[in-house]
Amino acid sequence: MTAQPLLPKNAPFTPEEIDKLNSVVARTTPQQRAWLAGFFAGFEAAQAGGAAQPQQPAAAAKPRQPLTILYASESGNCEALAMKAKKSAQKHGLDAKVFDFADADFALLSKAKSILVFAATWGEGDPPGRAVDFYNALMSDKAPRIEGVQFAVLALGDTAYAQFCATGKKIDERLEALGGKRAFARVDLDLDYAKQAAEWTEKALAELAPADDAGTATVVHVDFKGAGFAPDDDEPQFTAENPLTGEISALVNLNGTGSTRETWHIEIAADAPGFSYLPGDAIGVLPENDPQLALEFAEAVGLGANGEVVQKLRERFDITTLSRAFIESYTKLTGRTDAAALADQKAFTEFAEDRQLIDFIETCAEKLTPEQLFSILRPLPGRLYSVASSPKAHPGEAHLLIGAVRWESHGRKRGGVSSTYFADRRRVGDPVRVYVKPNRHFRLPEDGNRPIIMIGAGTGVAPYRAFIEDRAEAGAAGKSWLIFGERNFTNDFLYQLEWQDHLAAKALSRIDVAFSRDQPEKIYVQHRLWEERADIIRWVEEGAHIYVCGDEKGMARDVDVALARVLAEAARGDDEAGRAKLKELAKAGRYQRDVY
Amino acid sequence: MSEDKRSKNEFIKESSRQLRGTIAEGLADVVTGAISEDDSQLTKFHGTYLQDDRDVRGERGKKKLEKAYSFMIRVRLPGGFTTSKQWLALDAIAGTYANHTLRLTTRQTFQFHGVIKSNMKRTMQAINAALLDTLAACGDVNRNVLACGNPFLSKAHAAAHKLAVDVSEHLLPQTGAYHEIWLDGEQVQDKTRPAKPNEEPIYGTHYLPRKFKIVIAVPPSNDIDIYAHDLGYIAIVDDAGKLAGWNVTVGGGMGMTHGDAETFPRTADLLGFCTTEQAIDVAEKIVTVQRDWGNRELRKRARLKYTIEDRGLDNFRAEVENRLGYKLGEPRPFEFTSTGDVIGWAQGSDKKWHLTLFIENGRIKDVPGWTLRSALREIAEKHPGGFLVTANQNVTIANVTAKAKPKIEAILKEHGIDIGTSLSGLRRSSMSCVSLPTCGLGLAESERFLPELLTALEDSLDRAGLKNDEIVIRMTGCPNGCARPYLAEIGLVGRNPGLYNLYLGAAFNGDRLNKLYAEDVDKAGIVRLLDPMFARYAKEREQGEHFGDFAIRAGYVKATTGGNRFHADLELVKSVA
Repeated sequence: MTAQPLLPKNAPFTPEEIDKLNSVVARTTPQQRAWLAGFFAGFEAAQAGGAAQPQQPAAAAKPRQPLTILYASESGNCEALAMKAKKSAQKHGLDAKVFDFADADFALLSKAKSILVFAATWGEGDPPGRAVDFYNALMSDKAPRIEGVQFAVLALGDTAYAQFCATGKKIDERLEALGGKRAFARVDLDLDYAKQAAEWTEKALAELAPADDAGTATVVHVDFKGAGFAPDDDEPQFTAENPLTGEISALVNLNGTGSTRETWHIEIAADAPGFSYLPGDAIGVLPENDPQLALEFAEAVGLGANGEVVQKLRERFDITTLSRAFIESYTKLTGRTDAAALADQKAFTEFAEDRQLIDFIETCAEKLTPEQLFSILRPLPGRLYSVASSPKAHPGEAHLLIGAVRWESHGRKRGGVSSTYFADRRRVGDPVRVYVKPNRHFRLPEDGNRPIIMIGAGTGVAPYRAFIEDRAEAGAAGKSWLIFGERNFTNDFLYQLEWQDHLAAKALSRIDVAFSRDQPEKIYVQHRLWEERADIIRWVEEGAHIYVCGDEKGMARDVDVALARVLAEAARGDDEAGRAKLKELAKAGRYQRDVY
Repeated sequence: MSEDKRSKNEFIKESSRQLRGTIAEGLADVVTGAISEDDSQLTKFHGTYLQDDRDVRGERGKKKLEKAYSFMIRVRLPGGFTTSKQWLALDAIAGTYANHTLRLTTRQTFQFHGVIKSNMKRTMQAINAALLDTLAACGDVNRNVLACGNPFLSKAHAAAHKLAVDVSEHLLPQTGAYHEIWLDGEQVQDKTRPAKPNEEPIYGTHYLPRKFKIVIAVPPSNDIDIYAHDLGYIAIVDDAGKLAGWNVTVGGGMGMTHGDAETFPRTADLLGFCTTEQAIDVAEKIVTVQRDWGNRELRKRARLKYTIEDRGLDNFRAEVENRLGYKLGEPRPFEFTSTGDVIGWAQGSDKKWHLTLFIENGRIKDVPGWTLRSALREIAEKHPGGFLVTANQNVTIANVTAKAKPKIEAILKEHGIDIGTSLSGLRRSSMSCVSLPTCGLGLAESERFLPELLTALEDSLDRAGLKNDEIVIRMTGCPNGCARPYLAEIGLVGRNPGLYNLYLGAAFNGDRLNKLYAEDVDKAGIVRLLDPMFARYAKEREQGEHFGDFAIRAGYVKATTGGNRFHADLELVKSVA
């Protein structure tokens, strides 16, 4: 590809000079051009000042300062923030490199000059699965000192959980304890993090940037968008902030009558340029609350008659998640002592058991203005679901598999916001707002000849439907083996007819099933793994990629243990050897998990 | 070479390697709850049918699920007797692997419904662990052998039960397939039945052309419906009260096909008389003649009854006697009075008491306030005397001492169970097949519909003052006749959802078939047709005249004098509303 000349023919140079300049400039990146612009501006300014300046301008002499960006990511949010920060870092004269916690080691830490961390907290205050090893190492006595290294930490979390942003907080403390110098105060962000994260990153980068660049930086600041650059390829066009409105084209409860389960297969027509996904990706959904709940919520704060408020509560705000953070805001706003009492950790834990925001609001009901109410509610977050379709098999569509969550507690019937949104409040033909959340850590092998072993229970089977459809469409020759678990064979065998067809067409090579409630003893997928361990080993030796998708506590953890045992037996080693082998596979991208 | 016109099933049997087929491979296929079509013909010989829940057929495809397949498993239980321990084992199997019910059949045994494929081997093994099996409970072989009522009533009854067990054992398939497939090759305390693959001295490689059913009767009770069976033995007791031997009957059968006059139910003929010593041999030779003479081209004409129709009784007898090497004796006089069970307590010759409970449609289950299954389980736990399944789908709690009688009664009362003596005579004399939702053949409801129909008819009976009169009524969901509807004074056979053919005029003692009276009648129509008949019967009946006889005398239907006259002399009423 030949570069287009940048300098026009009427530039104030000779034609030869224009050619020579173009030969370099035309191949420059926007960052390089920005630097040049800043450099010359700074040079002229220095000349005009007439003061004793160095022979060479500082900016030109000084190499870019390295920045180490680390992320600990589960669903990909921190990873995306890290990638964005890397781009912004250029503007700040920083030469940033991005590392996943999964790939980080002490050498990296020791060499770092300045560090920017994006850390997610998972479940009950745990680091993300892939980050656990390096996180533990960092917390251990063996961690190297990082005397004087500048750092800043952004923590992502969810106020619905007690240990809000615990991982980020601990990393922030630890880096300081190891001798690091906090360049910018940590921020702890909830699910609606996007705007604040962008602002914080800019400020943190400015602090981490070389001080003597400050003058240059102001001049170098260039509006790239003004220069007409295309948006980055790897940034999804449709996001939680900018979703696509698709249309539901199918909505079926896959469980047979009499089942104890309720699992909805949802097909969404999402045929828009820029709405693209790969098997393994998640589809984000922006649901709406139960209108009855929204009304009751509004009534509790004396706004039941205000239709606009009720509508906003239904559409925009999280009115189910009960958190201490909310109680604290509410206490501050109302000054109620009974609310204050519930903000106490012990009292809160007790009260929050099987309760939701509505229970608190009704317990400490207080008349609020709409502005007051909205000031303390967090926005209704999107929900992510592993996509259940291959775009090759269903162009212009995205299929989801969602388990309906319903329970009763404290005399109230309750349901998951998003699952009941589909199960109870959406019909075929209704609009639904969706976006794509790429997940590059759950991908089919690029080599279609590689065998794949797919382990999943319940809705965890969703991505495998996408995988098998994708391989079937591509005519991939690699073997595939699905190990599926649910409660009852007769009514809970999700996508049974499709698996039968895929088997007949040889797009799926093998299936094993574990139905836990069909017989007196409980049989789960990990039991099948153990029974079939000889074949598992054989497949792994043949280069198989292993996938696990589903509930962490209910399945994925036990599968992990079982896999380690299988690998240990093959290596005639102990469990430790099995775990090491499993880590090795994970590092090689051959053991991928999508757990929730 | 002439074209091979044998029916499809003959080829399946031929290539099955003595009933093995690919059943084992089919069981190992975890993605489907079904087995192949050919294998599902073969598993019948092993006592199990592939079925599906027809109630939910409509939704399954939309839900990306195959049909809701499950298996019906039928126990082989000659004479219908189980020990209390066996009862408990069967009850546990129903709760663990089946649909939490036990279904008593019209042929003195138990059926489990709703066993899914992955539990089949466990269930079979549990049945075998209880020293029972399911071999030949269905299929083209001799099936469960029935014996009159209660072996504890008299020596003749005991002999009938012994003969039932002996005949059943003698005619069991010898293939090792059953043990290989279900019991992992292991046999449970049964050294008398060595596996002899490829060796079926009686059945050969093609077994029988069709199912074969044997019963043993002790007059005057015809509770096992001897005329409905391929082969029957009637106990003949001499004046001194000693068992002299057995009258032999052949050629009875129920099944027919709607709209096909070549098919018909048939009452059995008297063939001759044999001694107890000869009885097994007689059974074997009759079976082999049917094996060789039976129609293997047309399955719906393959039962022994058609062989006898087509070849003639005398020819058949001659061939049997030829194979026996001796002549059968002249049939001795006997008299049957009824086909029903005597509900309530009865005392045996050993002074022990036996309680026959009415079980509506043979379904043993628990419903709130009426926990029959729990009651019988509790009795089985506390009472060691055993149980009998009757051919009327009822159960007899056997061998109760006078002292224990009140305890049994107390348990039943506690569970809300009425022994049935207060029910109407019509209900006590009722039977139905399973039909929907599990039976693949059902064209209309049966077990789930008969109770409400009876309730409606009881209004008419009350008005006519007939509440306590025993009138035999039987319903099936299709014309194959599992509940022997063509031997009922009121027979109802499903044709279409909600519509039944109404048959009248069978003999109360089971020796005369009924005749079609009205076609495609719904519930209201059935009541409307029967209501005035009941009123007339109450007023006009002669001393001791049964409803079936009255229906003929009153001119509602002509008497059916034999199976080949079943479709003759029809004068159907128009039943349109």
